[in-house]
This record gives sequence, structure tokens and C-alpha cells, in this order.
Amino acid sequence: MTNISRRNFLKISGAAAGAVMLGHFLPPPVAEAARLAGQIDADGDGYIPTLCEMCVWRCGVRAKIAKGKVVKLEGNPDQPHSQGRLCARGQSGLMTTYDPDRVLYPLVRVGQRGEGKFRRASWDEALDIVATKMQEIKDKYGPEAMIFSSTHNLSQVGFENLLNGFGSPNYGTQRSLCFNAMIVANLMTYGMEEPARDYSQLKYLILTGRNLTEAISTSETAAFVDAVARGVKVIYIDPRYTKTAAKSTEWLPIKPGTDLAFHLALLNVIIGEKLYNEKFVEEHTVGFDELAAEVAQYTPEWAAALTEIPADMIRCIAREFSEAAPYALAHNGWRTSNFVNSFQTQRAITILNAITGNWGVTLLPAAGEGGGGLGKPPQPPYPRISALRLDGVPWKYPFVPLKLGVFQQLRDSILEGKPYQARGWFISRQNPVQSLPDRNRTLEALGKMDFIVTVDVILNDTSWFADVVLPEASYLERYDPLLPVGNRIFLRQPVVEPQGEAKSALWIFKQLGERLGLSDFFQYEDEEDYLRQQLMPLGVTLEEIKTHGFIELPKKEGGLEYKWNTPSGKIELKSSTLEGAGYTAIPKWEAPPAAPDGQFHLLTGKVGQHTQMSTQNNQYLHKYQDEPRLWMNAQSAEKLGLKDWDLVEVTSEVGSVKLALQVTQAIRPDSVYMTPGFGKLSKGLTTAYGVGASDSVLHVTYTDPVSGGQALSQTCVTVKKA
Amino acid sequence: MAQKKCYGFVIDVSRCIDCRACLVACSAENKVGMKYTRIWVRDLGVKGEYPNLERTFVPYNCMHCENPPCTQVCVSGATYKDKETGLVLVDQEACIGCGFCVDACPYNARYLDRERGVVDKCTGCIQRLQVGQQPACVTTCVGKARLFGDFNDPASEVSVALKNARAIQRLDYELADGTHTEPNIYFINGDVMDPQVQPHEPTYSLAETSWKSLLIPAVLAGIGASFLGQATFFTKQLVEGEKEFEE
Ligand code: SF4
Ligand code: SF4
Ligand code: SF4
Repeated sequence: MTNISRRNFLKISGAAAGAVMLGHFLPPPVAEAARLAGQIDADGDGYIPTLCEMCVWRCGVRAKIAKGKVVKLEGNPDQPHSQGRLCARGQSGLMTTYDPDRVLYPLVRVGQRGEGKFRRASWDEALDIVATKMQEIKDKYGPEAMIFSSTHNLSQVGFENLLNGFGSPNYGTQRSLCFNAMIVANLMTYGMEEPARDYSQLKYLILTGRNLTEAISTSETAAFVDAVARGVKVIYIDPRYTKTAAKSTEWLPIKPGTDLAFHLALLNVIIGEKLYNEKFVEEHTVGFDELAAEVAQYTPEWAAALTEIPADMIRCIAREFSEAAPYALAHNGWRTSNFVNSFQTQRAITILNAITGNWGVTLLPAAGEGGGGLGKPPQPPYPRISALRLDGVPWKYPFVPLKLGVFQQLRDSILEGKPYQARGWFISRQNPVQSLPDRNRTLEALGKMDFIVTVDVILNDTSWFADVVLPEASYLERYDPLLPVGNRIFLRQPVVEPQGEAKSALWIFKQLGERLGLSDFFQYEDEEDYLRQQLMPLGVTLEEIKTHGFIELPKKEGGLEYKWNTPSGKIELKSSTLEGAGYTAIPKWEAPPAAPDGQFHLLTGKVGQHTQMSTQNNQYLHKYQDEPRLWMNAQSAEKLGLKDWDLVEVTSEVGSVKLALQVTQAIRPDSVYMTPGFGKLSKGLTTAYGVGASDSVLHVTYTDPVSGGQALSQTCVTVKKA
Repeated sequence: MAQKKCYGFVIDVSRCIDCRACLVACSAENKVGMKYTRIWVRDLGVKGEYPNLERTFVPYNCMHCENPPCTQVCVSGATYKDKETGLVLVDQEACIGCGFCVDACPYNARYLDRERGVVDKCTGCIQRLQVGQQPACVTTCVGKARLFGDFNDPASEVSVALKNARAIQRLDYELADGTHTEPNIYFINGDVMDPQVQPHEPTYSLAETSWKSLLIPAVLAGIGASFLGQATFFTKQLVEGEKEFEE
């Protein structure tokens, strides 16, 4: 046998590895800074801390540097969101940066919209075109004719400066497609957006469609698995048997649209049998008597008929839950089957936690991203805006916070041209073509635009229809404004050189601001200067934070403080705000529309390998993803004469798609399921193009009048062999 | 002298959520080609009748067997069990890409990398081990289902996990000569006794290597190590044609 030393072996496998994917040299300034900060040694080996942006959870990352090249991403053990681990998406981050389909230079459209024909432009030219077009629209139609949309991210402050400085009220986030119902329910009940959840003492957990093992937030998902391993009882309600269902004690395949009935019945039992926490209710809540009177009618027997969950089971869960309280938690995560009654469902869940007194144990006031005492560059006040928002907030949707908005309504107002016609759309890191319901309508809305510009790393489906595409540096290539988490402040810093001519959002917004006469809103030299101004009041240097990736501020002393930012200053079981406006102030049953004969409820959800619409082109994730198919219960498939892998045509009121069928036991016979984010239109996505079908083609637009949330599961479809 | 190590994995089946962070981490750490993988999470499928269902995920990779059949059939000596760590490794400079070991593994844990003409597999991330780190899959495992360590050290995380396990299973396999593979992956707290992950009879065995094990080294010697490329090419002609090594 040949005798090979391990040293030799390593040398060989290292060389071979290079043939597959080369490491990536650090940009000289990054390397120099890293060396000075002691992150890498004289050989160029070490780690640089930064933050993940493959989803919005923002795990801490340590980029491993070998001989001056970034070779691997690891979870940062010092950061609470990752605790040393990264999910599949986080692990694949380098592949997003080195995606062969990266947009490397500014692009200007030359063909028809949607033809995908672009030419390379210089930054100067591209920025001039964008600024000129935006100014033209402003001069001719007013600033409100420009729509700005972008989703929750660290450079949002710069984006908001551009939008507010420009003077447009039209701010499109994607929140209404996701968790408006939850946030507004928390605001109405507790006066806070989303309390923090603590699993450390948990004994009993109700997950209403919160698919923690597939909609992954690394630290919370890990905490969930730990809880399961400890023997915590988990009740998982979802029409679909997800991977979370597989880990739960009990899976209850609830009828779509009836989560509210289930929770009302829990309240009925807990109040009827006096199982609630009297002291807590007395001290911290208002409206208990009215609540008790309302829910008296919602017996488990009543709920059983609607939910198809046996009454005894509901009664048993109510008793066990209140017995386990305050070590119990009803999770109000956002992926219930999503109907217009989801807002009331969310209210019922928040109330369930309140009356059983889980506060201070499993639910805590959110640490928030309150700013952590950070400074920011000086800027003048924003111009006064008098135009109405196209998304109907607040004139049509009075309870929806401005920063959440009602995105689908914005799109519909573009189509209707009311209250006025929008002319231009500035879209940053967002993909409304895939995320909004009813893709045909979204494409029609894009068609009404005089001008569309996107800021993106790849040609996603929306960029495919843009007039100008501005290439953004990926999260591993740039600085973003700082992120406070609890008493720590975290930094995203570049660990690799930008590909092509990609630039950070902070740079792009500033350049545009200057061309639009808004320089005063962008008073920083460059990204580092922006960060230095943020750190100024804390007396911390940028160099300090670069070394560890975070700084720690003194912890706030003192125990738990109960502060409810509601009109009454208490937890509002009966919401005075809703009452004042003539809305249902106490959760009340609202029947969802039934599926017409021969039709299925169309459910969507998440898989652990992808984030919404943005990661499907990542080759590593593509490599390990499942073929996206339409799930259908075996019994239903048999009735329709359909077999596993059959190509089927799925049709809703607004559209039709074809995809392969997955015959399974893991879903109710009255529902089908699709994973969002597939069925790309953009041929600029060579990995993802041609894979699966898009659910947004099928989704009908239904908006909850209170929270403005899109009722994503309210669409029904027919399925037949294609 | 330090005691001989016996590195291996403990997999807590009850904790695996099939998130596949381990799969991506392995590919990223070891620059595994897009067509290949060194590591798997086998979904045993949704079992039962709606609504009484069960579903188990079984993460695995090379078992780093105590008695590995893959090393026995390796005619070039490229595949070996490392004396110091107990890990089963491939010296890719010596590998001629014949693929016998791929067929000899009862666990389908190896693959022939056609682009590079060599066999590859899980190395226990030995490059990380040497600098005191755990394998990439273990470090990032979101469910904390994967543990790695030295079974010869009673205080190691893997030994402790075995001691505290509710149930332990091992996918052992009896070879033609009556010996056992004795895999160094232990599955705890879940049932992996499913036909989908059971080891299978090697499609290539020690007996078949006899003439090749004489001829191939002779050919190699004849051509000379400096012409390794040709040697690899030539010896590939000697072995039965191309095969798919699909998982
Ligand atoms: S959960 Fe995954 S994708 Fe999201 S920030 Fe963490 S590692 Fe990144
Ligand atoms: S699992 Fe297969 S490749 Fe790994 S040591 Fe055992 S026989 Fe060899
Ligand atoms: S990372 Fe862990 S939990 Fe996720 S699939 Fe791999 S073994 Fe399972």
C-alpha cells in the first residue's frame, strides 16, 4: 500500500478543490483593515465577522479567510441570531455573490420590456438616465407619481431618505403579503409590533401554521428543536403535514380558514372553566367581561364542526395549555392558512397568551431595533407631502402602519389610475412580479409605467422588465448601516471585493440623491463615513467594531417592566381603537368563503432551502432543493385519476400554470400546495429558469380591511391533467 | 504517545429537520462539484395514512468503517484508513479513478468525480480537524442532530451522547468473508431500520480485484509515476467501462 502522509493528502485535495471553485481574494483595503484589526494573520488566514442577508433574520457570519481568500462562511457564536450556526441559505451565501448570473454593470434596456435585451452602461450614464427620468416625472406629474418600493433591510434608512426627500408618499414594502395581520393584532392588543419569544422555560407550545423547521430563523428554529428534544408538548395546526408537523406531538389538519374558530374555542374553555390567570387579567388587561360574553357561544362542539378537529381534543388542549401556563406559548407566527379573517385569528392568539399570563416567561417585550443610541448624518426635515398614498393607507386602511402599507392595493391603484396615475417605479431589492398576487395584473401595472428602475444583484423577474438595472453589491461585498440587537450593535462589512462594478445601496442612493438635488439627505463621504457618524455618540471607533463584528453596550438594569403602549395603557382584550372606528373590537367569528365544488384551497408556504422569491438561482440551494411540485392528497388524486409526477394544469379565477404533481398523504384532501418563488419569467436566471411554476399567477387579490394583509390562502383552484 | 483515535459521528435522528444546512456546508467547505455530494439526508417519506403520519430524516455520509471494504478493493492504495484518526481517506494523487471502491461501499458513500477523474467522499473535514474545528456539517447543524468526535475518548461529546441515548442503531453490514463493516456512525433516538437506508451488497468485491490488483500496479510501475495522467487513462481501459455512480 502506498504510504501517503496526511500533509500530502491535504495539499492534493486543496489543489483539486481549486478546480471546482476558486477562493476569492480580499480587496486590498479589506485585507489591510482585517490585518490591522488582527482578524487575519501574516499568512492571510483568519476570520472576518459580518452579517448574513440571505433572509431577514440577520445571523452573525464569520467569513473564513485562507491565504487572503474567502473560502467559507460560518455562523458567529457571539451573535444571538446565529449562535454559531447558519441555515442552508446562509451557508450558500458565497454562491449568491459568485452567481454566474450576477448583474455586473449598470444595464439599460434596448429591446421591448420583458424581452431581456439590455446594453452595458457606465454608472454615470445610468445614474443620469434614472435621475433625469425621475425629475421629469416629478416636474410633470408631481413627486407622488414616483413609487418607491423596497423590503425591510439595513440600508432602508438610505432608501427612505431618497423616497421622503424626493417627496413621494408611495412606499411599497412587502409586509402586507406577509405579516400585517400579526403586527396589527399585536399593536391593537399589546401596543407593540411583535413580542420576543423565549423557549428556555417552555413546556407547551401551540403553533398555528408556524412552520419553524422550514421557515427557518436559525436561533428560533434551534430553540424549537431543543424544546422538542426536552419533551415539550407541541400542538401543530396546519392543513399540511410539514416537517414541523413531523416533529410535533400532535398534528391537527385544520380546515383552511378556520384557525380563528379553533382559538375562539380555546378561549371559550379557558374562560368558561376559569382556567385563566385571574391576577394577571385583573392587573394588566381591559375588556375581559366583554370577551367572556362574546366567546361563551364558541364551544368546542361548535368549533369542531368548522375546524374538523374533535371537540374533546380542543377541550384537552385548552386545559393542558392553561395548566402549563405561564410556561406555555401560543405562537402568533404568520403562516396560518391566510384568510381575511387572519387578523381576528391573530387577535385571538395574542389574547390567549395574555389571559393565561404567559408574559414575562415565554413572551417578552421585544428588544427592538430602537437605534441603540446610534447617531446618523445630519439632514434637513423632509418636504411636506400632501398627496394621498396609492396603497390606501390611511384613507382606506386606517389601522395599517405607514411603514407596512398595503402593497397589493398600490398595484391596483396603478391599474385604476386612481386617485391619480403613477408614472415611475423605483424598486430596490424587491421582486413584486413574483411576490404580489395575480402576476398578470402586476405585469399590466408595470406596463403602465413610463419608467422602471431596479436595484438588484441578479436579473430577477421584476428587473427583467426594468428600463434600467443598477447592480448592487451583495451583502458580502458591502457595508450597511449598523444593526442594534438587544444591547449589542452589529456590523455588516465587506469580506470580498464587489463583482464587476457593483456598488453598495448607500453609494447608489447618495449618487441619485445628488443628481436629484437632495444632497442634504446624504451627508456622508462614503459608507465608512456613514458608519463613523452612527458610532459618534457612542464614542466607539469603526475599527473597534470591525474587529469583533459587534460592540456591547451596558445592559439595562432592572427587572421586567410591563408597558403596554395602548390607549388604556393595558393589554386590550377589547380594542378601544377598533371599537372607536366601528370595527370588531373583540375577536368574533368570521366565516371564510368555502371552496366551490370540485375546487381546492391553494396553500403556499416555505421550504428550508429558499427565501421567498430571491434565492432560487443560487446553485448550492438549487443543488439541494426538492423539485417544486403541486402537492395533492392521494385520495383526491385518485378521484381525479391523477398519478404522481403527472403534469397538471392548475387554474384559478385569474390564471393558470402547469407543473408536476406530488401525490402525498401530507395534505388535506380539500387543499393543494405550491412552494412560491419558482416559475421564473426572467431568462437571465439560468439556474432557476424553467423550474416549477409561479403561485403568484394563481393568487386572487383579497385584502383584509383591518390589517391590509393579503389573504394568500383564500384562492381556490381546479386541477386537471395537462 | 497519544492514544489512537477513533473518529466518527453520532446522529440524533429525532433532531434532524431536513433543513440541509449540512449539505450546503459540506459542498461549500470541500468545494464539492455541483453534480456531486459527499453527504445525504435521506427522507424516509411520509408514512401512514392521512392523518396519522410519521416522517423521519436520516442524515449520513461515509461511515468511516472500522473494517472498510472500500480500502480492500483499492488497487492503487489510494483509499486507506488513517492510522492516527481512524478516518477513511482517499489520496487523490494516487487514485486512478477506477471506481472499484465506489462499488465496494455498501452505503453508496463515495462518488467518482468525472471532471477530476478521482474518487471523493467525506473526509470528516480533516483539514478542519487539524486546526481544532469540528466538521462543517456538524458546526452548522441547525437541529444539533450531528455530533462528531473520538469514540475512544469516554469524555467526548459522541461518547457521552451514546451513553445518554434512548436508543442506538448502527447500519452494520456482514461482508462475504463473514467480517462486518462496523460503521462509525451511530444513529440515536430514532429508527433508521428502513430498507431505504440499509446497506446493500457491494457490487464489487475483493475477489474480483485479484487479477487487476496485480496488473494495475504493474502497469502503473511500467508507465512511471511522472505520467500519472496516462496511467490513469490507461488503467481505466482495463476496468469495466463507465458506470453511473448515482446516489
Ligand atoms: S436564518 Fe439563514 S438565511 Fe436567515 S440570516 Fe440566518 S443564516 Fe442567513
Ligand atoms: S462507508 Fe463506504 S466509503 Fe465509508 S469507510 Fe465504509 S465502505 Fe468505505
Ligand atoms: S443541518 Fe442538521 S438538522 Fe439540518 S438537515 Fe443536516 S443534520 Fe438535519
